[in-house]
Amino acid sequence: MSKKFVSIKAAALLATATLTMGVLGFVSPASAVVDCTKATVSGNGCIVLTVNTFGDVIQPALVAAYRNLRPDVKLAIKKSDLDALNGTGLFTQCAAGGAGNPDIAAVEISYSGFWRAYPQCFVDLRNLRTTDGNKSANDLKKDYLSWRWEHGVGYNDAVIGIPTDVGGLEVAYRWDLFKKAGLPYQRDAVGKAWSTWPKFIEFGKKYVAKLTAAQRKANVGFIDNIGTIYPAIMNQGTEKYYRNNGTDQGLLIYKTNKQLKTAFDTTVAASNAKIGTRIGQFSSDWNVGMSKGTFAAMLAPAWMMDYIKGQAPTTKGKWDIAEVPGGGGNMGGSQLTIPKGAKNSQEAWNFIAWYLAPAQQLTVFKTYGLFPSTPSLYSNTALTGYKDPFFNNAPVGKIYGDGVKKLKPIFEGKLQRCIDMAMGSAISLVANGKEKVPAKAFATGIAAAGKCK
Amino acid sequence: MSQTTVGKARVSKPPSPWKPVKPQRKVNNINAVPSLNGRWGYLFTAPFFVMFLIFGLAPILYSVYIAFFNWDALGTQEFIGLANFDELFIDTRFWNALVNTLDIWLLSTIPMLIFSIGLAAILHNPALRGSTFFRTILLVPNITSVLAIAIVFGQLFGRDFGMVNIIVGAFGFEHIDFVQGTTSSHVAIASMIVWRWTGYNALIFLAAMLAIPNELYESASLDGAGKFKQFIYVTLPSLRNTITFVLIVGTIGGLQVFAEPLILGGSFNGGDSGQFSTLTLFLFEQAFVAYKWGYAAAIGIMITVIVAIVSVINFFITRKLSGDGK
Repeated sequence: MSKKFVSIKAAALLATATLTMGVLGFVSPASAVVDCTKATVSGNGCIVLTVNTFGDVIQPALVAAYRNLRPDVKLAIKKSDLDALNGTGLFTQCAAGGAGNPDIAAVEISYSGFWRAYPQCFVDLRNLRTTDGNKSANDLKKDYLSWRWEHGVGYNDAVIGIPTDVGGLEVAYRWDLFKKAGLPYQRDAVGKAWSTWPKFIEFGKKYVAKLTAAQRKANVGFIDNIGTIYPAIMNQGTEKYYRNNGTDQGLLIYKTNKQLKTAFDTTVAASNAKIGTRIGQFSSDWNVGMSKGTFAAMLAPAWMMDYIKGQAPTTKGKWDIAEVPGGGGNMGGSQLTIPKGAKNSQEAWNFIAWYLAPAQQLTVFKTYGLFPSTPSLYSNTALTGYKDPFFNNAPVGKIYGDGVKKLKPIFEGKLQRCIDMAMGSAISLVANGKEKVPAKAFATGIAAAGKCK
Repeated sequence: MSQTTVGKARVSKPPSPWKPVKPQRKVNNINAVPSLNGRWGYLFTAPFFVMFLIFGLAPILYSVYIAFFNWDALGTQEFIGLANFDELFIDTRFWNALVNTLDIWLLSTIPMLIFSIGLAAILHNPALRGSTFFRTILLVPNITSVLAIAIVFGQLFGRDFGMVNIIVGAFGFEHIDFVQGTTSSHVAIASMIVWRWTGYNALIFLAAMLAIPNELYESASLDGAGKFKQFIYVTLPSLRNTITFVLIVGTIGGLQVFAEPLILGGSFNGGDSGQFSTLTLFLFEQAFVAYKWGYAAAIGIMITVIVAIVSVINFFITRKLSGDGK
């Protein structure tokens, strides 16, 4: 779901990026003083780092900061659509033997299972050392959440990517609407009331029971889309579709995984309880519904808070953040990689190590609200003391920090994304009322997953 | 200049193409000129053919080749013969995508033909003022990015707050969930295609109408035919070749509809139950989500075959309907 948001944004930004690069291409580097901001190729004392990314993985404010730090390094950033395996050109470039590869490429975590099977497409970051500090990926590992670090480790133990921010997952809810419905509305009380998923569904039922006939006719509900419950529960376990059996490929266990069955059945229960609005996330209805109170709760990663602020500015102060049922969760996040064939792998590594270090992640959190993947910051007062007025002064830094610490590493296999999409379709069949017999939808999902190979 | 000079030049060496050819040579020596044109003609058309060979023909042949493999572009490739095709023929998702594609094509082509001929007839009317302006703006939908069109139409067709449903609701009807329904989603997609291509085709029809000799209309009006009868008995029959052309081009495009269903659903699966999954969307999903490159190549070949079959059927039907019989 996060991908579509990013991709639409990316499409808009791509146009800007292309335009900018087009203009730069026609500017002659004629000035006497070396000004690397206008360089298009390395040389003349300038190093041009080419970066293929999407959305806001590379934040403009930090790019400016790096320019001050290293005026001889120019970042040529190209944004593409994310939601295609080849969105950042990695796939075709690797198949072509690394020709034309950028120096840095971002990989979203839904593709990390796939890329971990092909470590030969990337530079092993354990073998690079930063110019100042002499640090390799092995030295940086301790700074990051262990389960986030795993997303960037190849099957042969090569480190192919360093984590950017972490999504986390909690529940954003409209406390004013909860209060109106006579339900608990203070964040601690709410978190306690829905400490487990069945309790969450019960909570939703109570909310829906208070709706007026007119609201029902207008498709008002408790949660935006119950389809989001399935991935949330899956991430709270220790295994999804694969078991780590010591082999590179892992063992496919989705047919027998109890966690999967629980996640599916809970979603079915939520569907039967009719607590969802059946609005697709990132659709136009969803954006409008956010400000109109069409739904009172949604599962929200940290980056979603910025999205809500952008879409529903009039609801400022009416939202709050409570702990997600079951404890902890994640949605979204990326790794920065150096593809094989990168011309400036040393400078690329210098940049990645700097950009993703705790100090810079703190800046990103303060400026853009993206949550750091470096746990040392979770006790930093800048995070623990951060209260968001839009969310009724909720201590979001602390809430998300506590949540992401609860997750455990999950072995991701090559087919993870394919299976995820197959199961997601099956969930949607139930969630949107197209398949009345949940067992049939489950069988459809498993059968579709079986076609992944 | 005499005949002999030219003959002498021919036997000594072929003249440079950069020197102006003397006009007499064309008249007097018929053999020399075509061969000269032919040889240099190859050079001048070569850029297209070189590009076509590299970026057109080579990928096509290559995809035919990998259709017989279990192809992992980054790993191993295993020859599996016709297994991809065997799997495809019993894959319900493929047949579902085919039915959807044909349905969307029908829902878009027929209204588009009617609208564009109607629009062309209006523009053809000499009484219309500012016709150049209208002819120009007809092309605007066609040059608008498909992405932008799809985003706008996605908002129009929203279930709760979409404009179409606000109107539907104002009449007291239940809101329609365009994306979730099969037929409704096809209508939504077809409307984007109609909006985009009606103006473009109207211009083609307009050009064809302008080519109809005025004498036909004059004699028709002498025979007492009104404007409408003139349109039915003079204009339409004269357009049959153009209709065939528009239909065939529209078929090729219509069977490859991709961006509209992709943006409407925001995902490659074409809706939760694949209710608006199309052939090209299915191909893309198999390649870039399921990583089944060989299978995707097999789907690509099938799409080519289907487009060819439908185009041939189309051609004969339109010929028959227009009563040309040639």
